[in-house]
Amino acid sequence: MSKIDPILLSVYARTFKSITDEMSISLEKTARSPILCEAKDFVTGLYDAQGNMLEQTENLPILAFSLAPVCRYILDYFDGDINPGDVIFHNDVFSMGNQNNDVAVFRPIFFEDKLVAWSAVKGHQADIGGNVPGGYNPNAKEVWQEALRIPPVKVYDRGNFRKDVWDLIFANIRLEIVQHDMKAQMGACTVGDRRVVELLTKYGFDSFEAHKLALFDATKKMMEAEITSIPNGTYEGEGQIYYDGHNEGSEFTIRVKITVEEKRIKFDYSATDAQTDGFVNGTFTSSASATILTFLQMVNPDMPHNEGMVKPIEMIIPEGTVLNASYPKATTFGNHLCPPNADAIIRALAPVIPDRITAGWNNLLCSLTTGIDEEKGDKYVDIGFMGLKGGSGAMKGTDGYDHIGMIDASGGLLDQDYEMFEQQTPHRLVKHEYSEDSAGAGQWRGGLGVETKYIIGSHDTQFVTFGDGDIEPAFGLFGGKDGTLNSITLTYPDGKKHLPNNKDLITGVPKGTLYHQLAGGGGGYGDPQKRDRELLKQEIRNGIISAKAARRDYGLQEEEQ
Amino acid sequence: MSGKIGIDVGGTFTDFYYVGEEGNPYIHKTLSTPQDPSIAVVEGLREIAASLNPPMELEEFASSIDKIVHGTTVTTNATLTRNGAKSGLITTSGLRDALEMRRGIREEQYNNHYTNVVPLVPRYLRIGVGGRLDRNGNEIEPLDLDGVRDAIEQFRHQDVEAVSICLMNSFANPDHEKQVAEMVRRHMPQAYLTVSSELLPTIRFYPRVSTTALNSYIGPILSRYIDRLQDRLKDIGFGGVLLIMQSNGGVMAPTVARDSAALTLLSGPAAGPGAGLVHARVHGQNKCIVVDMGGTSFEAALVDNSPVMVTEGEIDRHRLALPMLGIHTIGAGGGSIGRIDEGGLLRMGPESAGASPGPVSYGKGGEKPTCTDANLVLGYLNPDFFAGGKMALDREAARRAVDEHIAKPLGMSIEEAAAGMYRVVCNNMAQGVREITIKRGFDPREFPMVVAGGAGPIHSCLIAAELEIPLQIVPRSSSILCAVGMLMSDLKHDFVRTFVSPMEEIDWNRLAAVVEGMIGEGRSLLTGELISADNQQFFIKFDCRYLKQYHEVSFTVSSEDFQNQDVAAITNAFHREHNRLYGYSLDDGKAVVEIINVRVQALGISDKPNYRETDCAGQSAVAALKGERSVYIPEDDAFDIVPVYDGHKMFHGNLVEGPAMIEEDTTAIFVSRDYACICDKLDSFTIYKKSREDLVASTLAASTTAEQGK
Repeated sequence: MSKIDPILLSVYARTFKSITDEMSISLEKTARSPILCEAKDFVTGLYDAQGNMLEQTENLPILAFSLAPVCRYILDYFDGDINPGDVIFHNDVFSMGNQNNDVAVFRPIFFEDKLVAWSAVKGHQADIGGNVPGGYNPNAKEVWQEALRIPPVKVYDRGNFRKDVWDLIFANIRLEIVQHDMKAQMGACTVGDRRVVELLTKYGFDSFEAHKLALFDATKKMMEAEITSIPNGTYEGEGQIYYDGHNEGSEFTIRVKITVEEKRIKFDYSATDAQTDGFVNGTFTSSASATILTFLQMVNPDMPHNEGMVKPIEMIIPEGTVLNASYPKATTFGNHLCPPNADAIIRALAPVIPDRITAGWNNLLCSLTTGIDEEKGDKYVDIGFMGLKGGSGAMKGTDGYDHIGMIDASGGLLDQDYEMFEQQTPHRLVKHEYSEDSAGAGQWRGGLGVETKYIIGSHDTQFVTFGDGDIEPAFGLFGGKDGTLNSITLTYPDGKKHLPNNKDLITGVPKGTLYHQLAGGGGGYGDPQKRDRELLKQEIRNGIISAKAARRDYGLQEEEQ
Repeated sequence: MSGKIGIDVGGTFTDFYYVGEEGNPYIHKTLSTPQDPSIAVVEGLREIAASLNPPMELEEFASSIDKIVHGTTVTTNATLTRNGAKSGLITTSGLRDALEMRRGIREEQYNNHYTNVVPLVPRYLRIGVGGRLDRNGNEIEPLDLDGVRDAIEQFRHQDVEAVSICLMNSFANPDHEKQVAEMVRRHMPQAYLTVSSELLPTIRFYPRVSTTALNSYIGPILSRYIDRLQDRLKDIGFGGVLLIMQSNGGVMAPTVARDSAALTLLSGPAAGPGAGLVHARVHGQNKCIVVDMGGTSFEAALVDNSPVMVTEGEIDRHRLALPMLGIHTIGAGGGSIGRIDEGGLLRMGPESAGASPGPVSYGKGGEKPTCTDANLVLGYLNPDFFAGGKMALDREAARRAVDEHIAKPLGMSIEEAAAGMYRVVCNNMAQGVREITIKRGFDPREFPMVVAGGAGPIHSCLIAAELEIPLQIVPRSSSILCAVGMLMSDLKHDFVRTFVSPMEEIDWNRLAAVVEGMIGEGRSLLTGELISADNQQFFIKFDCRYLKQYHEVSFTVSSEDFQNQDVAAITNAFHREHNRLYGYSLDDGKAVVEIINVRVQALGISDKPNYRETDCAGQSAVAALKGERSVYIPEDDAFDIVPVYDGHKMFHGNLVEGPAMIEEDTTAIFVSRDYACICDKLDSFTIYKKSREDLVASTLAASTTAEQGK
């Protein structure tokens, strides 16, 4: 084994990060689907020959742990039959995939005829087959009603393009754009491959291996130090899921038991409710990512994202629970179980580390709209990012972040630009502003929610809604108040109103309908009476807290205003 | 009257580069006066006048100057310190929060303590008014004039000093914005006004509203500063032309700067790349990487025929979408602090000791070891000859700090720890260079690296080694490269219009009219800046993308292809640029290419001083040898005794084999073992990889000939 040079170790750490960042930029600039290049719903990563995470750039935190388990699965699956020039696709949620739409590209990296590492990119595809364009099918009960399953498959074998395999996959996907985006993902993997080979050429395989292990160890120590600062003990919390898309009024509970023992932390979900009949089910990988990202927000954010970071964390997510559905259940909603999962973790740890946790975050309620843009003679698909982003929970010393969106993205998911929205859909935007009095009151208030209105510009428009937060608001903590609820209302040209369910499919919506969405605010932290009065007066002046609410929630006397 | 001066205002020093009648360049530095930077400008001119031979009175000197190019950071500082004008925004009803929301981004996703930026315009001064254009610019609802009147009333009541106007879809039709502007001008004639469709008539609402608000925020500040500067210059008898540096690497007249103040926001380092190119051309290269390492930051830019431009800038997390040089900044400088993180890894920066307290060795109260302290331990800095001997460095204090904070925790010797700090900071800077090269589709090995900034030439050999760059150039004026660059800059004005159309379906009459319109505007600006018609040039660029892509690629369209309406040639130019940037193109004839924006750059060729080429003095640098000392040699990971040369005594043709140190008053140069250094005909220290003599062949040949002739 090569001797560890502490300086070279820093160089490796910086270089790994630079490589995954470079892969990320490559994909962002070349992809076509807005969910990749505008919402950046993708992750780029490097893994060692055994599938251990070397570094990652996850543009959305929910992808924090979505590649490493697949890498290991692929290694097992091909059992040594991995060769230079191979390119492997994968999305299958029953072999460690996280969400059907998230299709991964893995590229083995060889140096001196030896498999030394992997570069991988996983991105959310605009379509993945199944019954409903875009992949969100609230009526689904089995995976086949949601998506095309892609278990590990080589689209390049020893550098030879497998046209038959490629055509089989894309014969089952509606949009041609997905082919281009998958090519862009392969391009980003090539970037990673090139840079890793450069690095090995410079320092050699032995140095690479030794320093990789030392790096894991250094990061593990950082994480262990963070865990050690939490008092030993067992802590329990719950989060609630409302409606499975089939059974009116159905509710499911996520139950976590967190055990901290010196340097290790265990998240045990054994007491969580059983899986649902519909698509409201997690996969192991999506639920584990949710757990990790929630916990990462409670520790030093300046930590390399490698195997060492996750080593001290143990997760028990039994199969058959709502967080880890068994074959062949529908699971597309799984990523969106992150908010209630985060609620459970926050509630469990709030009494123990009150200075490091936030109050509840606004949960997402999203709509996906499809129709024909008559003027352009073309079909459009729009995911309503700008409307879904509510506020984050406040924490001690810091107000919640306004209009940040759900915790799974934590501000990584961007609004459509207003003018691009009007170019790419036939709709006309009427309103997109902070929603007054939406923030949960507190000494530190929750982040503000937003109000969105637009007029539908296509005939026979189809809406899919998916989400939550319309029944239970983001919770306040330590005297802080709850945030406001989510809602979507359609007002048809004849004046009739329609309130879709939080998981729903609505067809035939006429042109001229007014779409109205409220994304709620985050929960407040601490006694609102203690909020800084000057700040409060500014907020009244700026119209984000009404004078009435200032009196009611904060006890601001009239003569003070 | 033909003297020319470039004046670059920095945080600590104001740099002057003066070229008089005879063409001898003169470098001067004076302490900056942040409360009113124009004071230091006059003070520096006075000092230069007094030190001339024979000395001159200030007034006599000032009247002998026909051109001053000035780079100012007053707008940058006002933005960073939040000292801009109280401003109001009139926007489309229902959309007034776009400026503050910034599309809902939180840059640090795992950090719940990270807060949003305070908006440039508070919410109560962001007022939505009725009236609406559709996506094609057609009016759906007339402008609500009463609403505009109410907004103006509110602004007057609140003593608003600057007004921004940005309405939905105004890129397609400026009519509503014009109506609002007219009313604002009528009722608030004193207010500074920015109209989005005049400043940046391109699609994408958030970048446009943000850029517009930035312009209003700093417009009054810059206007007042220019007034003061012009008054002071007039008072001392300056009767020549004053030009202001822009972020796009060009210069402009003060009147233009007043209207479009945001053009100066990132102008601080923007003159460097152009100056770098002048030095690269000596070696037959029309391209270069320019790096500048100062006390707190490291800046890297790329020049490929001309400096590479971007439109994706930001300042203090506010989006700025005006075209500017693509300069990448990282937190690595002489003051960067070294520390061991919780996992035991050595990190350098981005925390910096700055100028105060500064590095430990300055003895001004700094306690944490910095890059400068490591350089001192490694022998690169001479404790008795720092800043030409004006400041003594405390080597023992530097060693103690490195020992306590780095060496002991890592279980290393002080020298090993300092070497580690040096290697890590060089690696960080090399990654910074990657940002502007590899990530934008350029191979750094094909570019000479021009090195500027006081701390740059100590690190450049290791950065070059990391990136396999075979040629580095350290100009004589490297510590004030931006001031030099200002005199080398042309007048430059960028125009843009959104013009959405598939390439195959362009309405050429309409497009030609749009381009002619922009050229006309450029012509009238340049003529106003006293540029004669034969010194005016116009370049056309398209921003295109494959249908349904989200990001455009900007590329130059030759005027010939444009005149000939040669769609095939233009489309091919797009494929080529897309391929260069992203490694692939879709030139199979099936992919539809779409134009989004059309740009015109108007260039006014300015009257520049000539660089004086020096006669070749022969190869031997023996006369400059002033001693020897022990320094760290990265190739050997060990210390060795190396010769030390006095850079002021080295002339054209002089050759030094590495490892060696070359010292000047403001710069120390380390020539590492695998490199050699020769002075070229502009007297720049040209450092080349041994075995790559071909890169400096003409200089070597001249040097050898001169040596034989001695």
